[in-house]
Amino acid sequence: MADQKRETPRLDQLESGPWPSFVKELKKSRKNPMTEDLLGQLERSYEDKVVHWKHGGLVGVKGYGGGVIGRYSDVAAEFPKCAEFHTMRINQPAGWFYTSTVLRKICDIWEKHGSGITNMHGSTGDVILLGTTTPELEPTFQELTAAGFDLGGSGSAMRTPSCCCGMSRCEWALYDTMALTHDLTMTFQDEMHRPAFPYKFKIKCSGCPNDCVASIARADMSIIGTWRDDIRIDQDAVRAYVAAGTFDMSADVVDRCPTRCMHWDGKKLGIDDSNCVKCMHCINAMPKALRPGTDRGAVILIGSKAPIMGGALLSSVIVPFLKIETPYDDIKEVTQAIWDLWAEHGKNRERVGEFIQRIGLGSFLEQIGLEPCPEMVMQPRTNPYIFYEDESENAEG
Amino acid sequence: MSDQVTVDEVADAMFELVSECYGKKNLKPMDVTKAMIQKFGEDKCSKQLCKEAIRKLMDSGRTIYSYVGGSYMTLPPPAAK
Amino acid sequence: MAVETKERRTDIGPPHYEQFLPPVIKKNYGKWKYHEIVKPGVLLTVAESGDKLYSVRAATPRLMSIESIRLFADIADEFCGGFLRFTSRNNVEFLLTDESKIDPLIARLKKEGYPVGGMGPSITNIVHTQGWVHCHSAASDASGVVKALMDELFPHFEKMDLPGKLRIAFACCLNMCGAVHCSDIAILGVHTRLPVVSHAKLGSMCEIPTTVASCPTGAIRPATVDGKPSVEVIAEQCMFCSNCFTVCPAISLSDAEKDGCSIWVGGKVSNARQEPMFSKLAIPYLPNNPPRWPEVVAAVKNLVEVYAKHARKFERMGEWIGRVGWPKFFELTGIPFTKYHIDDFTHAGESFKRSAHLRQKKGE
Repeated sequence: MADQKRETPRLDQLESGPWPSFVKELKKSRKNPMTEDLLGQLERSYEDKVVHWKHGGLVGVKGYGGGVIGRYSDVAAEFPKCAEFHTMRINQPAGWFYTSTVLRKICDIWEKHGSGITNMHGSTGDVILLGTTTPELEPTFQELTAAGFDLGGSGSAMRTPSCCCGMSRCEWALYDTMALTHDLTMTFQDEMHRPAFPYKFKIKCSGCPNDCVASIARADMSIIGTWRDDIRIDQDAVRAYVAAGTFDMSADVVDRCPTRCMHWDGKKLGIDDSNCVKCMHCINAMPKALRPGTDRGAVILIGSKAPIMGGALLSSVIVPFLKIETPYDDIKEVTQAIWDLWAEHGKNRERVGEFIQRIGLGSFLEQIGLEPCPEMVMQPRTNPYIFYEDESENAEG
Repeated sequence: MSDQVTVDEVADAMFELVSECYGKKNLKPMDVTKAMIQKFGEDKCSKQLCKEAIRKLMDSGRTIYSYVGGSYMTLPPPAAK
Repeated sequence: MAVETKERRTDIGPPHYEQFLPPVIKKNYGKWKYHEIVKPGVLLTVAESGDKLYSVRAATPRLMSIESIRLFADIADEFCGGFLRFTSRNNVEFLLTDESKIDPLIARLKKEGYPVGGMGPSITNIVHTQGWVHCHSAASDASGVVKALMDELFPHFEKMDLPGKLRIAFACCLNMCGAVHCSDIAILGVHTRLPVVSHAKLGSMCEIPTTVASCPTGAIRPATVDGKPSVEVIAEQCMFCSNCFTVCPAISLSDAEKDGCSIWVGGKVSNARQEPMFSKLAIPYLPNNPPRWPEVVAAVKNLVEVYAKHARKFERMGEWIGRVGWPKFFELTGIPFTKYHIDDFTHAGESFKRSAHLRQKKGE
């Protein structure tokens, strides 16, 4: 009876069509009874139009407070093999690079201990191993660590940092995103594995303002590459782009510059770099002709998050420019200062962006030891509700 | 220096607090840390000491982390009566 | 030879990425000169040294069987020395230096069901959440909607025929594990029915102060029901965010008939041209209609087509709407504007039109 093949008439309709089918993927692993029952339960959700998973709060590997997401079926009597179907988050190598050998190693471990179903990758960046039972967690963990892998973050902790492919493949990488991500991940293993914060804290490293890992929307700390000197121009290559006719230089590039700091006279492209905000548009349009400058670093922004619970936020500037150099002491110091403050004074389940909104950015900066500067705001305040402090008292103190 | 409390003393006091609150109140590691600093005094008990005590409790399995929308410290299921 | 050790290893972190980089990347790391998309799904990156790296990008369904990952490993061995990577949008990329192997690789991937594309002004993989496959709070499935959508939008994956990049994201509830709030088009699973409280269980399963504090609008207050401590929900104040359920499993919002999807437009994360922006509400509610969600697919397809027809080169969805104005957007898409489109949450007033700058229509 345990080996019965589940009928899945609704899911079967998602096997056809040009896009790769997740149903085909599930069926490729259906020889595993857990996955067979997962197919059955998913078909049931398609019939009932509701989810059939329950919370699971108490699962993990010894000593860690994260990396495992507990999941239990609410129709376990009918689908006993997926009654427990926990997820393991495995910290990905920076930049999501693999060799065939190491991928096979992960597959072998997951074939032995879990459903054989994965996500490559989860939203935060980890390799997601979907579906195993409580007794399998510790053996899976031990085999993973033997193979050189560790669990990622979950819960009220630093979440697995992630980054774009940076210098490994992109000429726009304005700092070494993979090196920084790996270093921060190694430095903050304790903060990732042993939740001690009010809520989650995500770090994402993007090599340039195109922000391919969406750090400005999805990371509590967004580290976005930028530069300070002039865009390097190859005028011959500019003219070659114009001659090729794939875009209209005036309408599609010069007029789209957000600060209108470019001019084009039909032969020569000029840029007033002092007014350039490093948006990347002209460089994106002409990668062979324009290159970012060579005095490079990053903008540090803080506080982005999804809506729950005070509303969605984008990260905002706290350090307008920072050189990103090993051993990255500046970034680590500011990160630690933020954590110390927020861990002590943040409310339960309050993200750092919400915490800043509650206590005020001015007060936040003061307490983590950063000077306010005009780059941090769109404009100064327009309301006169100012919390003046008694300066004379401060002077005496 | 001599009147500094030990990691084990803090861990035992933490365990007591977590046991008292079991099933009544979810405690975050920071709640427990703040309670210990209050109990022993700032001069005798630091955040770092509390961190070590929590790690000791977790590594030994006397307490475990739970997750209910956020991360908390609690007792492992068999101890729950 | 593996040395057996009893010592339990913890906090070792991820393996160092360097061991997974192909020789051409190791040699030219940080020394790339320029890149170009030589054809859909094929990126050429040229180094200062003159070395060339080709990345061939293929679609995946994100939910992958280990059998398929092993297939990718075999393909990587056959075509590119075993080196591959994944992208932030769940595509797989094969990394090669031998130009002559590109077309056979593309053919092989297509034969196996993983077509190549998703670069430049196109629609690439939809980032999405777990849905009914693995989430407890999903208001809709994710993989199924995404599969149905991408089957329909597939020509825009294989070709680069759009004005600019069009990034689509799907999240199955307001928790937004996929952080869809800055996408050109976002589909968001929504509950629309009041939470049902299981008073008999709540006292033992949930901590009441935490549950009360979880509500962004203060709609939950402690109550004693049938002599047991529990909570009550003030109906008028509930906006169905499901945060109470996240901290308290004794509260449920799932509803077979009233859960569904909302559609949002005009967000982006890139700094190119205009600053990053949030997605804005386009369609407040469409029903869940598995297995292929025809209402959602038709609505998204309409948005893509209207954008493709009217936006200028390089313009993202939000930039195009910003240029022509929201009234024009609703007119061109035929989407009705309702009271739900007007913000009434904390900073609602910031979105009200406070000027006479309006594109008036000439009298008919």
